Amino acid sequence: MTAVMTDRAAADAPSPAEARRKSDQRRALALLSPGILWMLLFMVLPMCMVVYVSFWTQTTFAVEPTLTTSSWERFLSTPTYLAAIWTTLRVWIIVLVATLLVGYPVALFIGLFVRNKTLQTALLVACVIPFWTSFLIRVIAWRPMLGTEGAINVILMKLGIIDQPLTFLLFSEFSVLVGMTQIYCVFMVGPITFMLGRIDPSVIEAARDLGASFWTIFRKIILPLSLPGVIVGAIFVSVMVLGEFATAASLSGRKVNLLGNIIVSQVGSLKWAFAAVAGVVLTVIITAVIALALRVVDLRKEM
Amino acid sequence: MQSSVLRPVLAIYTAAFLLFLYGPMIILAILSFQSADGGPQFPIREWSTYWYRHLLGLTETSRVSQLPVGESLIRSIILAFMTTVVSTVLGVMSAQAFRTRFKGSGVVFYTIILGMMVPGVLVGLGMALLSNTVGVGQAWWSTSFVLHVVYTFPFAFLVMLAIFNRFDRSVEEASLSLGVSPAQTFRRVTFPIIFPGVLSAMLFSFTLSYDEFSRTLFTAGRDLTLPLAIYGTFSVEIYPNIFAFGVLTTLFSFTLLAIYGILMKRFTSGAGRFKGQEEG
Repeated sequence: MTAVMTDRAAADAPSPAEARRKSDQRRALALLSPGILWMLLFMVLPMCMVVYVSFWTQTTFAVEPTLTTSSWERFLSTPTYLAAIWTTLRVWIIVLVATLLVGYPVALFIGLFVRNKTLQTALLVACVIPFWTSFLIRVIAWRPMLGTEGAINVILMKLGIIDQPLTFLLFSEFSVLVGMTQIYCVFMVGPITFMLGRIDPSVIEAARDLGASFWTIFRKIILPLSLPGVIVGAIFVSVMVLGEFATAASLSGRKVNLLGNIIVSQVGSLKWAFAAVAGVVLTVIITAVIALALRVVDLRKEM
Repeated sequence: MQSSVLRPVLAIYTAAFLLFLYGPMIILAILSFQSADGGPQFPIREWSTYWYRHLLGLTETSRVSQLPVGESLIRSIILAFMTTVVSTVLGVMSAQAFRTRFKGSGVVFYTIILGMMVPGVLVGLGMALLSNTVGVGQAWWSTSFVLHVVYTFPFAFLVMLAIFNRFDRSVEEASLSLGVSPAQTFRRVTFPIIFPGVLSAMLFSFTLSYDEFSRTLFTAGRDLTLPLAIYGTFSVEIYPNIFAFGVLTTLFSFTLLAIYGILMKRFTSGAGRFKGQEEG
């Protein structure tokens, strides 16, 4: 170790190892400071600003820095906005469960049943390829799929299953849920596949040799070992769904109003203080969700 | 495992899942070849490339206004490029710092990761409020740009962290003990080894920034980026020109991916040659 020492550090330090540790730490700090500064200035400060402005006084077209709780009072006493909180939570829970139910079997197949590495990679790549299309285009692609003259209705009518086109498919909560599930379920498949792929096959073999049924193996081995993947996936999906507004704006025909949509429409009419209140409510919800998830799994260990 | 039953069932399920993922895009691609008088739905009246020509401004003026793709595309590419450079540099620096143990590393780690977690609408709103208060004008190359870096820097950081985790320290130690300065060691030894990771971090940053719009929505000012131009059409009736645009941007993304693949392959084969020399 001493051979690595630079003469600069050797001159004044009590112990060479100690001195090296010190200089390493100084360098680490220097390397970190630009990134940390960037995050403090452009992420933490704006977030503090949202909280601060939520207590400002809203006039017709502007906000004034006179502190008041009137925006909060109006927000918490207006049924429309309380309904938006409820809608956001409901859509979040449904999409979270849907991505898990849709994604888990796929992850099970890719991570556990496909033992050929090339095929495994190919399947994962196939799941990721849609991300190379713009997010907004992927959202809008559901319109010709679900519309009254869309692909699903045309096919169902050709097959003679229905006579009248199904109208609930598009511009409803249903279309928002389907769209979000399709767009976000890959974030569930990825982490779960990763965790399942790390399971030692001999463990499962041993359980089977001892006479365990597949259901028992799944319950006692596969599910517990894949749980960190489920949690990481759930964090990804939750954070993205809770902050959503574009899918609802495009596919619900203004029928579904999430907190994100409230923020966008309030900013559009220059009601900054009000948008800030909605922003703080959203932040509180997301923080609670992430905190809950991080109690179950340490994100830093899994990365 | 009862593979005989379960395996085929899961295989079919996975195939159905892929159809679910790709279905809408396939329908969209088919409908992009709709004729000029057709709408954004079935049936296809006549196969044509009208909407592609419409998108590129090669048709006579029609009832549908042209998508403002030209300038916004250039803006988006410049913005993505700026974001890529800055977030990759920040990502490499921070990950390099994380190789030494230091107090408060947990807090720092989560502060950086927060950048990819916090919803775009929220930071976008915060940045808009902040710039209003401070009195700085909003533009895609200033207020939007800093937010894009906030978003992509954590991804670059995580990629580089993963690379450094598998990094063989002894090579660096050897270089340092032979009296090469830390800066030279980084340039000559460390950087070539982590280069594939840097390339991946750049790819991540570029694509995320290129497609990002919730952070841009409140902070871009007057001039629109490409995703904002698309978002603007959401409120009005849509026409197949958006579909044609979707197909073209997807092809553009694949071109980018191919360039990445070629660079990666060229680099790794170069590294293979180097290894061969070492052994011989």
